[in-house]
Amino acid sequence: MSSTLTAPTDKPMLVANDIHRHFEGMHAVDGVSLDVIPGKITGLIGPNGAGKSTFMAVLAGTLPATSGTIVFDGEDITRMPAYMRARRRLVRTFQLPSEFAQLTVLENLLVAAPTNRGDSLFGALMGKRYWIEDERRLVGEARSLLKRFGMSAKESDYAGSMSGGQKRLIEIMRALMLHPSLLLLDEPMSGVHPKIVEEIQYYLQDLRAEGLTILMVEHELHMVERLCDTVVVMAQGKVIGSGTMTSLRRQREIVDAYLVG
Amino acid sequence: MNTYYAANLLIYAGIDIIACLALNLQFGVTGIVNFSFIVFQAVGAYAAAVLSMPPDTANGGFQHYIGGYSLPFPAPWVGGAVAGGLLAIPVGFVVLRKLRSDYQAIALLVLSVIANTVITNADKFLGGAAGISLVPPPLSDVINPNTEPYEYLYVGITAVCVVLALVVVNRVVNSPYGRSLRAMRERELAAAAIGKNPVQLKMTIFIVGGVIAGLSGAILVGFIQVWAPSVWLYPETIILFAAIIVGGRGNNVGAILGALLVPVGFEEVTRLLNNNASIANLGPPGLIPALQWVAIGLLILGFLWFRPQGVRPEPRRIFEGGPE
Repeated sequence: MSSTLTAPTDKPMLVANDIHRHFEGMHAVDGVSLDVIPGKITGLIGPNGAGKSTFMAVLAGTLPATSGTIVFDGEDITRMPAYMRARRRLVRTFQLPSEFAQLTVLENLLVAAPTNRGDSLFGALMGKRYWIEDERRLVGEARSLLKRFGMSAKESDYAGSMSGGQKRLIEIMRALMLHPSLLLLDEPMSGVHPKIVEEIQYYLQDLRAEGLTILMVEHELHMVERLCDTVVVMAQGKVIGSGTMTSLRRQREIVDAYLVG
Repeated sequence: MNTYYAANLLIYAGIDIIACLALNLQFGVTGIVNFSFIVFQAVGAYAAAVLSMPPDTANGGFQHYIGGYSLPFPAPWVGGAVAGGLLAIPVGFVVLRKLRSDYQAIALLVLSVIANTVITNADKFLGGAAGISLVPPPLSDVINPNTEPYEYLYVGITAVCVVLALVVVNRVVNSPYGRSLRAMRERELAAAAIGKNPVQLKMTIFIVGGVIAGLSGAILVGFIQVWAPSVWLYPETIILFAAIIVGGRGNNVGAILGALLVPVGFEEVTRLLNNNASIANLGPPGLIPALQWVAIGLLILGFLWFRPQGVRPEPRRIFEGGPE
């Protein structure tokens, strides 16, 4: 289902068409179609078990689609493995913390950088002089992200020793190191201290202002209302509605299904 | 301590260090639980042997093996290293692509047992259970191998190979590429989500480790001049794993330390115990060698329980110019 609220000139960045994902007869995602419009934050909401995370995993390539097509930046990526989608700057985060625990916070960011000459066997064997320039540049880039997200003091700590909220931030920063054109966020606020929730919200608004496109799964409806330009509601593997939060609140069946209160 | 014994110890230390560096790269850094590691050392040894030996019709034809090319040093050693890398391609292709890492470990262990059984029973292929003997020591046409200078020479060539292996693994581990390997070890799905191709990374390191393991086998066979299935049974891999766990997973210095502590130090001490008649005669025959295995097991368990990071843990990478 395409959003009807965006201007027709906005060519979608990502078009998912009739996506199915079945697990042994269980239809986790059952024919979902969705467009993501550039420069906007699109929210994906729905009750637990609606298939939101599965759908995100299918978009990112972590899970293959049983059927349907995904077109990203004009290219059919339905059969493309996850790592290649990331290299095309379609980058996801995970619902559960997924930091690289035995790497420092700074290393967690550096490792995501796609343009380091030392990040190949050949480059590594050539020795430090071959890649140190790239490394210095990327350390600078990573440090400015850490500063922006208020985590400079933690750069040399192991990521595994960070709090839940800090791990969320690390994951968002790590995704940003890839210069994504579309960021898929799977419940970025879950398990996060309210203070950090607010910070994450500001960061996301800033990123949108800079032109980043975001598709996010989120449970906190007030947050969705504040952040998302368009909201898509899923239930039982299907899309049951889309539009702005205000318009969705007026639709009886959606309120019954999900938006109580 | 005579020269022969000292040289013997140093050469074994060098071989074990090279093997441990390779296994540390695979297991400690990349997270590949290569329970068939010893097979890669073995294939290097067999390749180096048949490349340096004359055809099996020589010496009265008392043994049977394929090839026999009488190649001069260093061709057999290069061949041993290449053989280790080549073997890693089909094995990695089958094992590393689809299987989850715990199943990879089991598959590799089974492969190690199968390979040993096949080579033992295929007696026309690589000498079967009896193995291959009279492998010519490298440069034996230039210098008499039964002399003291030759011992020094062999120690020297081994040392050069140790340095070479160390430079390679250090460059890999301490580079951005090594960082990608460690990230994949920590969380493969997340690594794929930032554009790393886990299968390619694992295959590459499996091959690099295979090359280094093959070289260690070539050095070993050139020194002991015999090679047979009984010297590369799967428990030999466990000893090397013990070395990595004791020394410190992911740390090259730890791998060297582990090599010196476990395969060299620990085995040497227990071997000397067995040489002591009053101890060797304790209990039923074979008790002391059997207890050696018990001790290796306890060593692994003890470290995993009390000091899982090993003697020299993986270093935390701190970058210049940061806060504090």
